[in-house]
Amino acid sequence: MATTVPSPSPLPSRERVGVGGDFPAKAALGARPHSIAVELRRMLGADWRLGHLFILPMAVLVLALVAYPFCYAIYLSLTQKYVGVPPVFVGFENYVRLASDGFFQRAVANSLVFTIGSVVFKLFLGMVMALVLTSGIRFRSLFTGILLIPWVAPTVVSALNFLWIYDGSLGVLNYLLVKVLRILPQGVGWLSEPGTAMASVIFVNIWRGFPFFGISFLAGMKAVPAELYEAAAVDGASVVQRFRHVTLPGIRNIVIIVILLSTIWTFNDFAIVYILTKGGPGGATQVLPVFAYEMAFGAQRLGEAIAVALYMLPPLAFLIIVLARYMRKGRAR
Amino acid sequence: MTKTTVGRLQLGFSYGILGVLLLMVLFPFYWMTITSLKSEDQMRSLVSMFWPSPVVFENYDQLLRKTDFTSWFANSAIVAVSSTLLATAVGTIGAYALARLRFRGRAFMSSATLITYLVPPSILFIPLYAQIRTLGLSDSLAGLIAAYPSFTVPFVTWLLMGYFESIPVELEESAMIDGATRFGAFRRIILPLAAPGVLAAALYAFTQAWNEFLYALVFITDVRQRTLPVGLSSFITGDVYGWGYLMAGAVLTTVPVIVVYIYLQKYMVEGLTAGSVKG
Repeated sequence: MATTVPSPSPLPSRERVGVGGDFPAKAALGARPHSIAVELRRMLGADWRLGHLFILPMAVLVLALVAYPFCYAIYLSLTQKYVGVPPVFVGFENYVRLASDGFFQRAVANSLVFTIGSVVFKLFLGMVMALVLTSGIRFRSLFTGILLIPWVAPTVVSALNFLWIYDGSLGVLNYLLVKVLRILPQGVGWLSEPGTAMASVIFVNIWRGFPFFGISFLAGMKAVPAELYEAAAVDGASVVQRFRHVTLPGIRNIVIIVILLSTIWTFNDFAIVYILTKGGPGGATQVLPVFAYEMAFGAQRLGEAIAVALYMLPPLAFLIIVLARYMRKGRAR
Repeated sequence: MTKTTVGRLQLGFSYGILGVLLLMVLFPFYWMTITSLKSEDQMRSLVSMFWPSPVVFENYDQLLRKTDFTSWFANSAIVAVSSTLLATAVGTIGAYALARLRFRGRAFMSSATLITYLVPPSILFIPLYAQIRTLGLSDSLAGLIAAYPSFTVPFVTWLLMGYFESIPVELEESAMIDGATRFGAFRRIILPLAAPGVLAAALYAFTQAWNEFLYALVFITDVRQRTLPVGLSSFITGDVYGWGYLMAGAVLTTVPVIVVYIYLQKYMVEGLTAGSVKG
């Protein structure tokens, strides 16, 4: 039957390529020109022509926009490079210098606080959002849509909104707390005081990011079979027990994927911190992406700036590999 | 009897929490909108905080006439539309190949796509900047159009791979038994079926490109070549805050995204879950 297939074959089939043992041999008995095509198909796959043609533009883009810059980054991080001047190779000097740089160490610590603080609260609020939306309220899809708005609105707009809300003299937050609720005797410079700046910045990240957690958990909860809940209810399980023993195991994979995704995104969030504080006051909210930016375009020290960015790579690479495995596993099912 | 009371209490509690979440989510947008309609005097005097009195349009007038806002809007539109078209075309055929076709290198490319999607811009922005400069594309929209596919293409591809996989293989196979080529089957059978998914992916890519900040901040220095996010953030200069027209700009920057979103809400919610985090 294989010999009746003209090449390039319109009939795709993994079985046919896979079992290949006797079929190229049979084809070779037939017309000779076919044997090369058949051999190619055996080596490169049944749809290799269209497949490679279709993948080519993407491969070019990935090479030019990610793989090449990435390798170039590794090279530049080993050089002393200023804008407009050719790089000078210095080995690991940038990395060594950064390791003992107090500003860098502070940025690492801030990044950890920012990421962990944000992700924990996003997880909590996202879970609350998903539970509220599955609790039998009316107009569920409308409310879901509204709650997702911070996630789709431009980050810069949201950051600017909060910059205005937090404003020390004319901001509405101080107005509410001082004049309306009378909780505080006087206004707070939310972003200009070291004690409140980090929490204020984290809040904006939470505000923007929790809907993504919520919507993902919601989708996961909808996929948990209703019979499981019914069975649990028949067995007399309380709401809390049902959540712990039915809901949570059912959405476990989604929870892991969302936490990992959000950790990567939060760790690399640039816009919120840059717009709200630019890392200030006095470095209190300086996180690694903003630190790298300032070093590259403020101090014009590109080599060192890339070394900052590449210091983020090992933990990120670890997260990315674990996450990629989970996401592919999710796909396979 | 007690059971329904408990249920009612729980539902009431849910509505209460929902109210808090809605307030938290919507307040910044409400505040942005009313600020854009307030006069400067009113803002400074802290009167009638929660409603503009009188409602004025001077902020919009000033924004559109005295700033480069309209150029930025046009720049954002050009960059977002071009890079979206590019990303959608490349991503659609790439996703089809990865989801359906059998060829050597397929497994490697699927992994590469996913990993590329996850590699954050904060690692790539400096080398990309150096590259864009070498190519002479800094300070031009072309540089951004060239750079944005680095995040839109992997995203579109990953999302559409899931979509293509959900279309039954039998449809193509029967078309090919009827004499269609692989490409013919893709074009006539699969593409029309996947159209809603492709549209959703495209619009999602559009919002990502529209909202992008870091590359636009780094690659562009010429004021008139800025995109909206960078342009808006440049209104914060020192202590002179033009909050009125800044918020007017924020409103006008948000509107296109929200329009796209309302139209797409169903797909986006499904796409987010089916595409990116199917667990």
